[in-house]
Amino acid sequence: MRRLPVYLLLDTSGSMTGEPIEAVKNGVQVMISALRQNPQAIETAFISIITFDSVAQQIIPLTDLASFQMVDLRATGTTALGEALKLVSNRIDNEVAKTTTEQKGDWKPLVFIMTDGIPTDDWLPGLNEFKQRKTAFTVACAAGVGADTAVLKQITENVVSLDTADSASIGKFFQWVTASIGVTSTRIEDGGKEIQGIKELPPPPPELNIVV
Amino acid sequence: MYIENLFKRFNVRVPANRQKLFEQFMHEEFNVEAVKLIMEKHKIIMENWELKVRIEDILAKQLIIPNATVAKPYQEALDFNQPEFMEISFIAFDNLDQYGLNFNPDLKLIEGIPNQSGDFKVKMKFKVFGEDENSEPNTKMISLVINADPKSLWKNIASDDQKDKTWKEQHYWKPDQVEDFQKLGSKHIVVSSKRGRSHANVGAFREDDYAFKHFEANGWSVVCVADGAGSAKLARQGSKIACKAVVDYFEQNLTDDNLRQFDEILLHHHQEGGDSQPISHFVYNNLSKAALYAHQQIEGFAAEINHPIKDFHSTLIFALLKKFDFGYAILTFGVGDCPIGLLNKDLTEIKLMNWLDVGEFGGGTRFITMPEIFSSEKFPTRFGFTLTNDFSYLMLMTDGIYDAKFVVEANLEKLENWKTFVDDLKGNNEDRAAVSFDVSNQEIAHQLSAWMDFWSPGNHDDRTLAIIF
Repeated sequence: MRRLPVYLLLDTSGSMTGEPIEAVKNGVQVMISALRQNPQAIETAFISIITFDSVAQQIIPLTDLASFQMVDLRATGTTALGEALKLVSNRIDNEVAKTTTEQKGDWKPLVFIMTDGIPTDDWLPGLNEFKQRKTAFTVACAAGVGADTAVLKQITENVVSLDTADSASIGKFFQWVTASIGVTSTRIEDGGKEIQGIKELPPPPPELNIVV
Repeated sequence: MYIENLFKRFNVRVPANRQKLFEQFMHEEFNVEAVKLIMEKHKIIMENWELKVRIEDILAKQLIIPNATVAKPYQEALDFNQPEFMEISFIAFDNLDQYGLNFNPDLKLIEGIPNQSGDFKVKMKFKVFGEDENSEPNTKMISLVINADPKSLWKNIASDDQKDKTWKEQHYWKPDQVEDFQKLGSKHIVVSSKRGRSHANVGAFREDDYAFKHFEANGWSVVCVADGAGSAKLARQGSKIACKAVVDYFEQNLTDDNLRQFDEILLHHHQEGGDSQPISHFVYNNLSKAALYAHQQIEGFAAEINHPIKDFHSTLIFALLKKFDFGYAILTFGVGDCPIGLLNKDLTEIKLMNWLDVGEFGGGTRFITMPEIFSSEKFPTRFGFTLTNDFSYLMLMTDGIYDAKFVVEANLEKLENWKTFVDDLKGNNEDRAAVSFDVSNQEIAHQLSAWMDFWSPGNHDDRTLAIIF
């Protein structure tokens, strides 16, 4: 079975305390429930959650939707985005199966990054690591005014921003992530084709500004 | 001692001249009893506090119930081995039975067959050691996720749902499922073609197709299978035209003169062996013309209705076969990723008649609708030929079958995989769906169609399988 790996890189730094972190938790929960109702997604999509605050941590390894169990998220510390990029690169190497003559490998992973701040670590080595990995697409979301879209633009061309990191906006972002994963899993099951970029994803809701 | 401390707390000093009085006071029966009582109450208060903390620890600690799935027998032990849960003396669940589950207190298992899907909260009632037997148990809410049966999530919407005849004609509609069983010369053919679940889920068309014919006049038979590309708008029509065109071509062009010569070449080859070039020449000449004819038919149709030919992208495989006194001649052509496999009489040898156009990142698949395949240097390698005493099965299939059952191209070369595949067809599978390969079996086409409903996660493409036996 060819899996569709999905990595969510979530900022859990101190500035996310309160409404934002609760909104992220809720967003993930609602996303998982919705994807479980999608016949293609429940078979193909595997989700991993990597959080980054003062350190980056894979709190949930690549897990199928049917057995996925959400864990608690706490906001604390600084913003080790570079470390998170390094970690996701490492996890892609170890978790995503490559195609050989004996087996069909996994589909190329989808990566969604959400942050409300700027990296506080020496993040360029992590960026360079990540750039060497092949993803179907990477979307970065700048939540609120504290995030720097120019930083995210270096990670991926697909950058969206939220005017405020409130629960309504964050909820909309996760709704769009849900739809994007759904569309991708349908596409690969139906036509055996991967999505190439953000243009092929469902149009983002008005709360999400596409950063050009 | 207690009274001394009490006095200290209230700043009551006992002067030396009152020391004796204080001693007597402490030993008065009332005071001794009172202190004893107070100490007992202290103890109870402390114990109650400790109890509260232990209960709170249990409430705060996440207890994971592994997710269940509707209709799938469930049995999971709850992990009470964590330190926080060691103090639990009694557990009961309030509302598990409405989900088809129950709790086994001896083995600390949740078991049963879940009957509804959703994200639920279940009420775990518990007591800890030291709690009064008659007290109300504590309550902890725990998440329980029951996944829907994945099969139930797929809808089956007919592609012609509430549509009339005119609509069907305008949209090149074809049945969502077709099957057939016929005599094919000295062999028989059973074939079925059906929509994949991904198409059925959204009421889309079947893109696969097949066609076959036996020509009494000259003893040849032709079998074609085609798989319309999911991304091409009119692929269903492309695959249909391709199959029909090949049959039509051979119907019109397998003329006596041409064939008599080939029969002689084959006989000569059978008796003398040696030079096979005249055979290759015949195969190439005739089959390439048939393939080109299929291409042209689609091209013509596309031009007629003003559509680009790429809207009709389809793979195409076909086999021509004929029984001679000395055995069967089998000639094949293939473009795309659909295999043709030939299993010998005693299932000891598999011959894969064609190579597959597979490519990891798109672009690898080739279609009969692409003019460049005919001028490619690879074109001559698209043909296959074999002469065999007899065979057990000659199979043509689309990738809806091959992806699920063989997974990768390399497995198509392995006899073991084909043996497993034949066993699977004969009923060695989860659903016990079996095809009985008996020419008197009138149900055989239904059996094959039913077998083709096999469940394979991630593989929901259209499925077509033609078996000559």
